[in-house]
Amino acid sequence: MSTFSFLETTTWQCNSCGLPLQPAKVTATYLGGSFNVELMACPQCGFILVPEDLAVGKMLEVEQLLEDK
Amino acid sequence: MDQPQLRELEARCIQEEQPFCTAACPIHVDVRAFMAALAKGDLREGRKVLDRTMPFPEIIGRLCDQPCRPFCKRGEIGDPLAVGRLEHYCVTNTQTVVKLPKLPAKGGKVVVVGAGLSGMTAALDLARKGRPTTLVTSFPGIGGRLRDYPETTLPPSALAQAAELLFSYGVVLYTAVSLDPEAIDGLIATHDAAYFDWDEIAFSQLPFAANTPDPLTLALDRAGCFGGGGTADGSAYSAIKQVDDGRRATLSIERFLQKVSLTAQRDKEGSCATRMVTVTKHYAPAAEILPADPASGYTAAEAQAEAGRCIRCECLECVKQCVYLREYKEYPKTLIRKIYNNQAIVQGTRNANKMINACSLCDQCATICPNDFPVAEVVRTTRGNMVDNQHMPPSPHDFALEDMRFSLSEHCSLSRHQPGTASSRYLFYPGCQLSGSAPEAVKRVYDFLGAQLQGGVALMLSCCGIPAHWAGQKELFQQTLDAFRAEIKRLGNPTVITACSSCLSIFKEFAADIETTSLWETLDALELPANAQVRSTTSAAPTTPLTLHDPCTARHQHAMQASVRSLCAKLGLEIVENPYNGELADCCGYGGLMQFANQPLGRKAAMVKAERSPLNGLAYCAMCRDNLVAAGKPVAHLLDYLFPTPEGGNPLVRPNPGFSQRHENRARLKNELATTLWQEADAPVAAHKQIRLIISQEVLDLLNSRHILEEDVQRVIHHTEAMGQYLINPANNHRLACFRPVRVTYWVEYEPTDQGYLIHTGYSHRMQLQEDKQ
Repeated sequence: MSTFSFLETTTWQCNSCGLPLQPAKVTATYLGGSFNVELMACPQCGFILVPEDLAVGKMLEVEQLLEDK
Repeated sequence: MDQPQLRELEARCIQEEQPFCTAACPIHVDVRAFMAALAKGDLREGRKVLDRTMPFPEIIGRLCDQPCRPFCKRGEIGDPLAVGRLEHYCVTNTQTVVKLPKLPAKGGKVVVVGAGLSGMTAALDLARKGRPTTLVTSFPGIGGRLRDYPETTLPPSALAQAAELLFSYGVVLYTAVSLDPEAIDGLIATHDAAYFDWDEIAFSQLPFAANTPDPLTLALDRAGCFGGGGTADGSAYSAIKQVDDGRRATLSIERFLQKVSLTAQRDKEGSCATRMVTVTKHYAPAAEILPADPASGYTAAEAQAEAGRCIRCECLECVKQCVYLREYKEYPKTLIRKIYNNQAIVQGTRNANKMINACSLCDQCATICPNDFPVAEVVRTTRGNMVDNQHMPPSPHDFALEDMRFSLSEHCSLSRHQPGTASSRYLFYPGCQLSGSAPEAVKRVYDFLGAQLQGGVALMLSCCGIPAHWAGQKELFQQTLDAFRAEIKRLGNPTVITACSSCLSIFKEFAADIETTSLWETLDALELPANAQVRSTTSAAPTTPLTLHDPCTARHQHAMQASVRSLCAKLGLEIVENPYNGELADCCGYGGLMQFANQPLGRKAAMVKAERSPLNGLAYCAMCRDNLVAAGKPVAHLLDYLFPTPEGGNPLVRPNPGFSQRHENRARLKNELATTLWQEADAPVAAHKQIRLIISQEVLDLLNSRHILEEDVQRVIHHTEAMGQYLINPANNHRLACFRPVRVTYWVEYEPTDQGYLIHTGYSHRMQLQEDKQ
């Protein structure tokens, strides 16, 4: 399965771990569909950042595509 | 929906029926397409249309006696189109553009006896179908009576061109043949079928006693022999009748040679009726363009102007009014076909899902349709099937169904006898949207009804279940209805007075055993409330006339509509009716959950309804009022004038409360009524609800459009602040946190302040994310 990268430098940091976010490999699943993506996440606790433009853009598009499968 | 049901439904939509001209034309020339081409000045395209249907355009185009003209709908708004003159203009200014193909040769030798236009047509059509065809005439050339026309009407070149065309298809021509009965008997004996053109041949020349040919098949008494054309039936000579007979005979001969029924399914042959409906009242009348010089016919400009008068007859009456059909560029026949195909997909993308979920189910189209095409019924049934087959996408309806569940929950619902009573003759059912939009009005109406009606007035705050009905959630809808029925029974079967036309439509259709009426009919039967704002006596009364916006769910509730108008008259409200009201009312975008499945389309629907009149509006459906106001139109609710707020204020501009405020209003209404009227204890406030938010109107609108409630925001902050688990931006101290209560992950960017949490944005997604552990 190919991996889609949505990595971008970010000023967000993890509050509880006090660490800057780093690229992480993430599995995104919805309605039985599953994708490998790269997102920024906390290297310690694994808090994954979903930026606003990704959520209302590409992610929404893919969700709707899966809903029509 | 299976194939036969699909066909039956498709047949009810008449958009693809022949226009009146084409149906009346014995050879069904596509006059509409011909006019469209000429109106563009595209003569070549016009000639193509003629070449496809006319056997010899250079002859028929000059001689057509235009039997279509009396049927031209332009005649209702001016003069019918000069079809014949335009055909003449086209064929005199063009050469052949389309030459129809010749099918592979097959058996079945045919002789055509007599070479008038009817015989020529039969010979040409038979040869095109691959039949070896011989054309025999006693004259020196083809044409029969055509040869008698003056050259100015029919130049000899037209006949020469026709002869060339016949040769090119392989027709064998014998001229100057002696055609006595014996010779004709010989021709019949050496061929498999024969056609006699009465333009040249007399009955007496036949070697058998000829009967009058059967009008449908043109068959004579001898098997394989057919006759037509000329003026044998006593009518005047008509070129198009010659062609009609020749073509009819060709089909009979084909069937005879194939040994199939000569008569089956021939009702659309020749001039026939059409089911097409075209409404002409919106077109400006226009008189026929006459050529400045009748002898030389139309100039290019005259022809173009005359063809431009064609109104291109079609139906589309529903599409003209329905924002949904226009958006998806469908008419009911094509829509239903797409729905059928979408349902048939086993694996692959169901591209029509969004379209299916975007219909408002308002039934305006069926009311307009001359054949009552039931789009809403089909779409609703389809949604039910999608739910049953687990093919219904979750996102279009989730939010509305959650909203419905909230209205039904203990936070909002209430059902009590009038305080101090143990039985109820009536029950006031305001409905969830009025409770969400104008909770104070609900209180005032209930006070009034309780004081005015005898026998006790119970109150029920609840939801009728229409969102589940619209979403195809049959089970949930049935449960809601069962619960309503049980509660009505528990209260001693009072008459239910609904403020919402949707609730009333649901109860009337699915709980017909329960006595129901509208609030408007009830109020109309009582004296006006003491504080009702009668025009000119109060400052908040409208200063200009209002247009009334009937809701789509009141379409067939005539008594309710009449009571609303009566109340307006009593209030002194000046009402100006717009044409798309009453039975033709538009949906405001909420119906069928349109605004959730296709948000921009929902907004368009509200705009269309709002713009039916330039006047400010008056609605009596809470959703209509709020959606029209959101579309920028000043609209009041009738209750605003019947039960004005003591504080005053202009009800035309009261803002749409939005989804969060609706929730809040419903819950607060329930709590206030329970505590003040029934002396019940205050409902405990959940911890997350105590979180104070500061949200600008801009962010509130954004959250509203993204279907994120303030309560969702409170939940995120409550959850993350307790755990300290959020992201932080050291540059501005903003926090970013997420929480997934059930199916949706909500994200909130916020900032703690002394007054509460300042919200910067919110968004959501349905996908679940999991970091891959190395």
